[in-house]
Amino acid sequence: MIEVRGLTKRYRDVVAVDELSFTVGKGEIVGLLGPNGAGKTTTMRVLTGYLPATAGTARIAGFDVFERPLEVKRRVGYLPETPPLYDAMTVRGYLRFVCDLKGLPRRSAPDEVERVATRTGVADVLGRLLANLSKGYRQRVGLAQALLGDPDVLVLDEPTVGLDPLQIREVRDLIRSFAGRHTVLLSTHILPEVAMTCQKVLVLNGGRLVDHDTLEGLVARHLPGRRVTVEDITFLEEIYGKIVGPPAARV
Amino acid sequence: MRAALGIARKELSVYFTTPVAWVVLVVVAFFSAQFFAGALEGFRYLATRALQLKSSGLLDRMNLTDMVVARLFGSVALFLLITAPFLSMRLIAEEVRSSTFELLMTTPVRPVEIVLGKFAAALCVLAASLVIVASYPALLALLGAGASGGGAVEWPTVATGLLGLFLLGGMALAVGLFFSAVTDTPVVAALLALLVLLGLWVATMFTIGAGEPLRRLAEALSASEHLASFLQGRIDLADVLYYVSLAALGLFLADRAVEARRWA
Repeated sequence: MIEVRGLTKRYRDVVAVDELSFTVGKGEIVGLLGPNGAGKTTTMRVLTGYLPATAGTARIAGFDVFERPLEVKRRVGYLPETPPLYDAMTVRGYLRFVCDLKGLPRRSAPDEVERVATRTGVADVLGRLLANLSKGYRQRVGLAQALLGDPDVLVLDEPTVGLDPLQIREVRDLIRSFAGRHTVLLSTHILPEVAMTCQKVLVLNGGRLVDHDTLEGLVARHLPGRRVTVEDITFLEEIYGKIVGPPAARV
Repeated sequence: MRAALGIARKELSVYFTTPVAWVVLVVVAFFSAQFFAGALEGFRYLATRALQLKSSGLLDRMNLTDMVVARLFGSVALFLLITAPFLSMRLIAEEVRSSTFELLMTTPVRPVEIVLGKFAAALCVLAASLVIVASYPALLALLGAGASGGGAVEWPTVATGLLGLFLLGGMALAVGLFFSAVTDTPVVAALLALLVLLGLWVATMFTIGAGEPLRRLAEALSASEHLASFLQGRIDLADVLYYVSLAALGLFLADRAVEARRWA
C-alpha cells in the first residue's frame, strides 16, 4: 500500500531524511519510531503530498505522491503534528468543512460527521467552539478529521500526544481496530506505544532507517533470551486505569 | 469546485463570526454617510445660490446623480481600497500561522480552488459593503425628485458606478490575496497590499511635470483614472479590462505563491 524508495529530503544544508526505503502492506499497522528530529514528521509530510521530496519516490496505493498528488490525497487521511483546527469554528462546522475539502457527498456529510465523532469520542462536543476545547479533545478532533471519508491509508503523526492515559488507551484501541481495513502509519517516540498498537516497527534515527522488524523480532534481536510480552508493558496502565477509572467502578 | 465552495463558505462564516467583516462594514457605512451628507449639503448650498442668482442655466445642469452620487462613489472608492487589504490579509497568511495550511495541502484540493474560494468569500463582503453604499442613492430616489418631475437619480449611472466600485474592490482584494499568500504575517500582508494599491491610486502623481509618454503611462496604470468613466455612467471596455486583468494577475500570482510555499 505504501512504497518508499530512496527517499531523501534536504532543507537547504540539513538532511532530514536520508535514502529511506520501506514498504507497508495493505491493512498493516506500522509504527515510525525515533527520537525527536529523526525525520518522522518529514517522512509523513512527503507521503501526504505536503512536501516535495529532494530525491527518491513514494507511492501510495500505486500512485506516485509527486506525479498524482490528488489521487494520493483522496486515499490518505492525515493527522499532522499540530492538529489543523480553526479556532473560530465549531467542531461540527469544522468536520463539515473537511468533508467539503475531501469532496465527500454533501448529503451523507452529516452522517459521516456523526460516525467519526462517535468513534473518536467527540460526539458530545460537536456544538462547541474549537478554541474552547482542551488539548485532548483537540487531538481527537484532529483524528476525527483524518477518519472522514473512511480513507484506505491513515498517516497519524503522534496521535496520542496530549491525551491522558485513559484516552491514550481508547485511541490505541481505536487504531488497533483499523487493522485489516485501513493501512496505518503512525509516528511516536514512545516505545510502549508502538508495542501496543503496531504490528511492525520502523526505527528512524538521524533521517536513516536503522532497524525494521516486527516487535517480537526486535526483542529477540536486541534482548536475546529475555521474554517480553505486551502484557508486561500494559500492566502499569491497567493499575492506573483501575485507580482513576469511572467513579461507578469504585466503592 | 466543491472544495472551493466549501472554502468560500468557511471564510464567510469566519468573516462574520470574527469582527473583521463587521469592522469593514462599519468603516464603509460611517465614511459613506459622512461623504453623502457632505455632498448633499454642497448640492443644497449650490442650489440655493443658483436660485438666488436666478441662474436657471446652472440649475438645469445640476442633478443629484452627478453632484451627489458620483461624488459619494468617488470618495468611497478610496475607502474600499483602504479596507480591502484588511479583508484579504488573513486569508492565506493565517492558514500558515495556525498550521491549517497543511490540512488544505493534504486534502484533494488544488491551489487554484483555495485561491478562488477565498476570493469569492471576500467578494461577498465587498458586495455587502456596496449594498450599504447603494442605500444612499436609494434614499435620494425615495425622498427627492428630479427637476422636471422625474426620478431624483439616474439608475443606469448609479449601476455603472457600483459596477466600477465592485471591479475596483475586486482588484484590490486580488492584490491583497497575493500578498497574503507570500507573507506569514497578516498585518505585513495588509501593509504591503496597501502600499501597492495606494501607489496605483495616485499613480499620476508620480509623473507631475514629466513628459508626455510617462504621463500617459501613469494614467494607464492609475486605478483612479479608470474609475472616472464608470462614475459618469459609461462602461469603457479598456477600464473593465484594466481592473479584470489586474485582478486576474493577482489571483494567478496568489495561486503560484500557494503552490510555491511547499518548496520553501
